[in-house]
Amino acid sequence: MTAPELIALLPLLILALGATALLLAARGSVGRGWPLAVGSALALSAALSAVLLPSCVTEVGGMYSTGPYARFFIALWSLATAATLISSGPYLSRRRLPSGEYSALLLFAAAGMGLLSSAVSLSGIFLALEAFTLAFYVLIAFNKNCALGAEAGLKYLVPGGVAAGLLAFGMALLYAASGSLQLPAATAALTIGAPMQSVALAGLALLLAAFAFKLSLVPFHFWTPDVYQGAPAPVTGLLASGSKGAVTAALLTLTATLPAAPAPFKPALATLALLSMVVGTLCALAQSNVKRMLAYSSVVHMGFVLTGLLCWNHTGRTAALFYLVGYSIVTLGIFAVITSFSGEQEPQQLSDYRGLARRQPLRALALTVLLLALAGLPPTVGFMGKLAIFSAALAAGLPLLAVVGIVASLISVYFYLQPVIQMYMTPAPSAEAIEGHSSEYGIIALCLGLTLIFGLWPGPLLELIARLTP
Amino acid sequence: MTGTCPLPLLTLLLTLPIGTAALCLTCRQRPAAARGLALAGTLTVLLIAIGCFVLLPAEPGWLLREDYRWIPALGIRFSLGIDGLALLMILLTAFLSVLAVWLSWDEDNRPPAYFALLLLVEAGVLGVFMALDLLLFYICWEMMLIPLFFLIGIWGQRGGIAAAMKFFLFSLAGSLLMLLAIIALYVLHGQQSGDYSFALAALQHTDLPTGLAPWLFAAFALAFLIKVPLVPLHSWQADTYSAAPAACSLLLAGVLAKTGIYGLVRFALPLFPETAQSALPLLAALALAGVLYGGWIASAQRDLKRLVAYSSLAHLGFILLGLSAWTTTAVEGALLQMVNHGLTTAALFILIALIEKRAGTRQLDELGGLWGRVPRLSAMLLFFALAAIGLPGLNNFVGEILILLGTFSVKPLWAVLAASGLLLAAIYMLRLLQGVIWGPARDERSWPDLVLHEWLLLVPLALLVLWLGLYPETFLEPLRGPAQLLLNGAAPLSLSGGLP
Repeated sequence: MTAPELIALLPLLILALGATALLLAARGSVGRGWPLAVGSALALSAALSAVLLPSCVTEVGGMYSTGPYARFFIALWSLATAATLISSGPYLSRRRLPSGEYSALLLFAAAGMGLLSSAVSLSGIFLALEAFTLAFYVLIAFNKNCALGAEAGLKYLVPGGVAAGLLAFGMALLYAASGSLQLPAATAALTIGAPMQSVALAGLALLLAAFAFKLSLVPFHFWTPDVYQGAPAPVTGLLASGSKGAVTAALLTLTATLPAAPAPFKPALATLALLSMVVGTLCALAQSNVKRMLAYSSVVHMGFVLTGLLCWNHTGRTAALFYLVGYSIVTLGIFAVITSFSGEQEPQQLSDYRGLARRQPLRALALTVLLLALAGLPPTVGFMGKLAIFSAALAAGLPLLAVVGIVASLISVYFYLQPVIQMYMTPAPSAEAIEGHSSEYGIIALCLGLTLIFGLWPGPLLELIARLTP
Repeated sequence: MTGTCPLPLLTLLLTLPIGTAALCLTCRQRPAAARGLALAGTLTVLLIAIGCFVLLPAEPGWLLREDYRWIPALGIRFSLGIDGLALLMILLTAFLSVLAVWLSWDEDNRPPAYFALLLLVEAGVLGVFMALDLLLFYICWEMMLIPLFFLIGIWGQRGGIAAAMKFFLFSLAGSLLMLLAIIALYVLHGQQSGDYSFALAALQHTDLPTGLAPWLFAAFALAFLIKVPLVPLHSWQADTYSAAPAACSLLLAGVLAKTGIYGLVRFALPLFPETAQSALPLLAALALAGVLYGGWIASAQRDLKRLVAYSSLAHLGFILLGLSAWTTTAVEGALLQMVNHGLTTAALFILIALIEKRAGTRQLDELGGLWGRVPRLSAMLLFFALAAIGLPGLNNFVGEILILLGTFSVKPLWAVLAASGLLLAAIYMLRLLQGVIWGPARDERSWPDLVLHEWLLLVPLALLVLWLGLYPETFLEPLRGPAQLLLNGAAPLSLSGGLP
């Protein structure tokens, strides 16, 4: 590996090597704050170097791109990780969890997500996907005193293993058909008239199934609610935003190499999107557990993102990415609020939110705005994202997806408003108020601010994303 | 033509309530300051609106226009403009907002948040009346909805949460479909002309595929008619009006109902002229159904607020009938009637709130004998109830007679049916008066009559009712241009042509 390549990889090296160093240095870190501070400083410097450092090479080892698209996502996931680290201090110390290992694992996950977003070869996708999934297996079950957490870890592990198997086999088939693991070359075997096209199509089917597992698209979503419920709240936030986002970024790179959707896949993917929107919405309606509701809502949102990808043109991909960035910001904010509301127990049931607006007016207001953003109401980034997705879908001739998406957003308003009703319109029980920490307030305020700024002024972000999108 | 005002007045009108709302929220510890701020904010908006009304010449077309770049990547502009109709609606909104703040002066449950939300509703409504970019319009349309959800849910009476949810979901069902229709227009226009824009003036020149236009028109009309509401989309109305706090009922009936009709006039009819023409008979049939059904149901109500809610249904049906008659007289009458209905309904809701404050109830069979105890209050109730029935010399008469005349000249049968709705109005209003004012009193307690604070609410309304009844020309004149342009099939929009 040459020096320019190492420099090009610097943001990821900061994350991975920093995580290793933290793992060695921070032993017995229960109740300590400094590993979190160091971890977030590392993540921030990785983000900074990803934005500022010019890259002399375009690819490293033929596996990972170092272009602006990759850099953008490395910066984004590093920032998301930094935000998660900053806001989880009180959560960890209340539960007597070791912050050193936690920081190191989150940094490893960030490195994996960054790698996945920059992958330009099938092997690169596989390695990166497994890298961050491994970190998440541990993180989900991080609270070893919590039975639900252990269950969630296992439930993430088993489908994850199946998905990895599907992924590897699909790649093997694609490789057999095309003789290459590089992305444009590997997917060239899918074009009509290519030799062994049917083998390549079978490979792509397995590949997409694995992606659908990770994105929790219906009918590959069954692990989602249990994992969301059992995982520690800050980890759930990163799982919902970063891990799904990184997988979407890789899927986007994959679809961008194909000029048009291979014939049988467009209806299949459209069905996945439709099912995700419909089933996700209907299941979320029935939940009385807020984290499970958010899990099903993430299923719906991934359906929206897939709608953007299905347009199969630049506008659609830009819309999907914009939606993804907005969704990540909002989700991180929501889980930061839930984290900061967590005393000994996480507030999971709807009734736990009763009367919170009286006791914690600022965070209740923030949660309200963020939930309205998930529901896609103006003036939030959620609305602008939906606008972009639906206009791209109508322009690309997908009216059915747009109509179902609109109806799903209408129904979803009902369940997004349930916590709001509990917080504002139901009398409070005499429960103690949980003081927020200033770091938590900072992260919540940041997410809230970005939600509103990108809702009222999305122009610059949209233009940036349009330039990045392949 | 386009006004040359050194100040960005319209932007100011929109941002002033929002800014005041933000200030209100900072007065967490001092509720009195929040109240004062809210009153000052709404009064300033009213002053600006009156200034515009007095100073701007009454001519067809735009009186003021403002247009700024906003989100170039999506072709969204911050584009505001008012014509005579919009100005009159703004005036009504500003006036009723002042009354709403004044009416909730004694609100003691978290006043800063309450007044901030009230101001946000006002900002949303003003935006709806001014927006000329469809997306800006949509954002304002939602912006008036969200604060109302909280106002009804938190400060509403029993059943407030359910009513708020019903109201929210009903409105959202319409508006999300409208959003889809807006996007469809945007995409079609972009594909035809290469210019991706949400500007009303641009979208008007979209060639619609024949199969699509009725669907798009239906989506727009659904959103607007739910808000009005029109039978059979009205089932949220009575629940919401009766559960909402008094100031919200006032705004809902006085102003928000008008946003629906305004939306039809400004957007749905000009965007889809041919489809709209063929839909007018259906609209008229539904409007007539509203007049008769609303009047009939109102006659059976025990709860005063529900009674007025259903009477509103009948009156709004009248306005829509005037629109669908599509003659100059009827359309002018309909537009004028929007103002009239806003004033009288607001007055009735205020009076009901005052009665409820004294009696602790607003059930018809638990009230009675008010004339003996509070003669001044009873007199005001009598006055406004007669105005609502359509007594000559008072405001509603003018609008109704114009609508009836205009309708009779083209569709005599419609006018005859609508006139029988007037009979129903007399029945339910007189039943209200009889039950509340006359009859034996239920108990011996003595009540205070109107105090200065309450006089200040009612006297301006009464003066306006008389003014509109005796000399409607002041308010009819600015409506002539917009009405004529609407009938000619080209709403005032074509005047502006290409955007700067």
